[in-house]
Amino acid sequence: MLQSIPLEYYLIISAVIFIIGSIGVITRRNAIIIFMSIELMLNAVNLTLVSFSSFLGDVSGQIFVFFVMSVAAAEAAIGLAIILALFRSKQTIYVDEVNLLKW
Amino acid sequence: MTLSVVLFAVLSILAIASALVTITSKHPIRSAMGLVFHFFMLAGLYLTLSAQFIAALQVLVYAGAIMVLVIFVIMLLNLGDEEKLKYKVNPRQVIGIFLGAALLVMLGTIYVTNVSVAGFNKEIAANIGTAQFLGNELYTKYIFPVEAIGILLTAAIVGAIVLAKRKLN
Amino acid sequence: MYNAVVNELIGSLGLIKPELALLVTFVVVIIADLIFKNNKVNLGLSILGTIVSGIFLIGMSGTNTSAFANLIAVDPFSEFFKYLILISTLIVLVMSEFSEELHNRDVWMGEYYMLVLGMALGMFLLAGATNLIMIYLALETMSMSSYILSGYTKEIKRSSEASLKYVIFGSLSSGIMIYGMSILFGMTGSLDLYAIQSYLAANGFFQPAIFISGLMVIAGFAYKISAVPFHFWTPDVYEGSPITITAYLSVASKAAGFAVLVRFIKLTFFDAAGSSDESWIMMNSIPWDMVLAVLAVATMTLGNIVALWQSNVKRMLAYSSIAHAGYLLMGIVVMTNTGLMSILVYFFFYLLMNFGAFIVVMLFAHKIGSEEMDDYEGIGYQAPVLASLLTLFLVSLTGLPPTAGFIGKLVLFGAVLDSGWYWLAVIGVLNSVVSLYYYAKVVRNMWLRKVDNGKGTLKFSIQSQALVMVLGIPTLVFGLFFGPIMRWAEHSVRIFLGN
Repeated sequence: MLQSIPLEYYLIISAVIFIIGSIGVITRRNAIIIFMSIELMLNAVNLTLVSFSSFLGDVSGQIFVFFVMSVAAAEAAIGLAIILALFRSKQTIYVDEVNLLKW
Repeated sequence: MTLSVVLFAVLSILAIASALVTITSKHPIRSAMGLVFHFFMLAGLYLTLSAQFIAALQVLVYAGAIMVLVIFVIMLLNLGDEEKLKYKVNPRQVIGIFLGAALLVMLGTIYVTNVSVAGFNKEIAANIGTAQFLGNELYTKYIFPVEAIGILLTAAIVGAIVLAKRKLN
Repeated sequence: MYNAVVNELIGSLGLIKPELALLVTFVVVIIADLIFKNNKVNLGLSILGTIVSGIFLIGMSGTNTSAFANLIAVDPFSEFFKYLILISTLIVLVMSEFSEELHNRDVWMGEYYMLVLGMALGMFLLAGATNLIMIYLALETMSMSSYILSGYTKEIKRSSEASLKYVIFGSLSSGIMIYGMSILFGMTGSLDLYAIQSYLAANGFFQPAIFISGLMVIAGFAYKISAVPFHFWTPDVYEGSPITITAYLSVASKAAGFAVLVRFIKLTFFDAAGSSDESWIMMNSIPWDMVLAVLAVATMTLGNIVALWQSNVKRMLAYSSIAHAGYLLMGIVVMTNTGLMSILVYFFFYLLMNFGAFIVVMLFAHKIGSEEMDDYEGIGYQAPVLASLLTLFLVSLTGLPPTAGFIGKLVLFGAVLDSGWYWLAVIGVLNSVVSLYYYAKVVRNMWLRKVDNGKGTLKFSIQSQALVMVLGIPTLVFGLFFGPIMRWAEHSVRIFLGN
């Protein structure tokens, strides 16, 4: 019953999510929302990997997802710690107000 | 219209809609909630692909750990709406939309080309998606990366503490 | 089955002794910091660990095999880069001891040394990784430590800004990279570079999907070597980070990025059986050489031209390091082992001169409290020894004789000309001429402006001057006796090509 959805559909969904994420990274000013957009991009990658993995019958795609998740968690912890440090010194998390150094 | 097609359509439309909510909301909490919803929808999509273990991890790690951290920081910093959300044409946004369009065209070509992959076999997929099968692979063939990620996580934990803890003078 | 797995593991452990030495030090340093709370102990342990790792590396010289079922390769090519990384780590550790910006504040030095070692460990794995999972993990291990280190003196406002920019751009580019990897996996059905290569060899037609996913993966590496258009972070991060980390990023992290870039392109997109040392055969008629040539030209031209306007020496060196990445990319464009050898030679000399320049800039900043070019006026007469050495390093970075930088450029341009890329060589030479202008500006300010500004001479400790000498003398000596380095590089171009 579940076979009826072709692989292409999953790939297109993941491409759309990836693009939504990358637009978010570039256009938003709030550093936390930028981080959430990066999480969106990583999730798009995960969806591609899982769908390829299931369709190929090859588990290594899902292993990769496992590692992407661990790295995403570490990255979120570091990113948020940096945002906290920045907020303490500059009272802002808007990337365009952080202009001591030029972008 | 079989049940699976309906399920897939609902999950994917909701996933894309919640992704859009994430990047367009003024208030970061609303974005975060959109993202949590998005994670659940993706977990559903993983289930339609018979990847049970990854679906469970998705909920546990993303929704349960990462988003709790994000929401905690938003609350801690007590952020309000972005004051300056008047949409004047800003070069960064133009670049962003341009890049997005370029990527879309690029990815479009990929899928038009040919994805020569054997069809979806539910038995095989359901078999490899279990915790047992994945664990077996992880701790035999991929034992070295599993150990290596320990280094990464140690560095990240130490680093996050160093960065967040600071003497107030 | 499990016996076979265990045997394989034990066999492979013997091949990663240098990494294990670093790993043990990584853990020991953080525990020693808790027990002794003494900076000297931490520094001593870190240096000891680096040296032990180096000894293991010497013991394994010439190994050409694969460990952990093709997850990482242990070959002369990765060995060369591991030496570069170890030498850089050693210099950074010693340099940190002299850095006032790290010592006069409440900086946690135990964690600092630990993270430097963590970064070195990530680079070690990256230099040998032959599986997409391993490449991603090694790259992230290295990035994660460098995100933290670039914001280490976080009381300085610009430091935490630098690390915010670094982490945002870094995660964005690694996101693009793994998207490319996921498509590559789907198209070829494997994460192993050797298996991907044999799949592509069996299906030898042009597939846009393979090309685009390859580009996306290369984008992730281009970020690490700060190639255009992924260079945006470089000037800000280099200016905002502690100067020890700036120097480390500009040499070691770039070296690891080049190692994985070369290995990925060579193993994935070249015909393993058909290629000889003299010419590598590209598969699927994808013009990787043209892609890289465009990348090289854009990188060096932008780096050099923007450097012309810089008034801060640290920022000028950042743009100059972008330009050098452009020169180094030319060595991959030619797609021969000679080109590869020229990259290795150039990198070794680049390590000496770039570290030297950064250390002198750091020592000057301690005394005159500034990294602005204008404040260097007349400094040549206040600190003649260090100013002469900085002049030497800058001359070498320009690529003028009789310095090591000249030999590096000579070998590199020779390889480019040999394989008929005349227009590329011409652009490279023109770029070197442009670079002369901004390097010379610093030299002019030091020696020809405010000749008698009346300020007294600046005093520097013997140890710090000795450290600069250790880099300065080879820069001069290798400019004249470059034979050993050339032979070493020649032996190190062998990349493990699979069983």
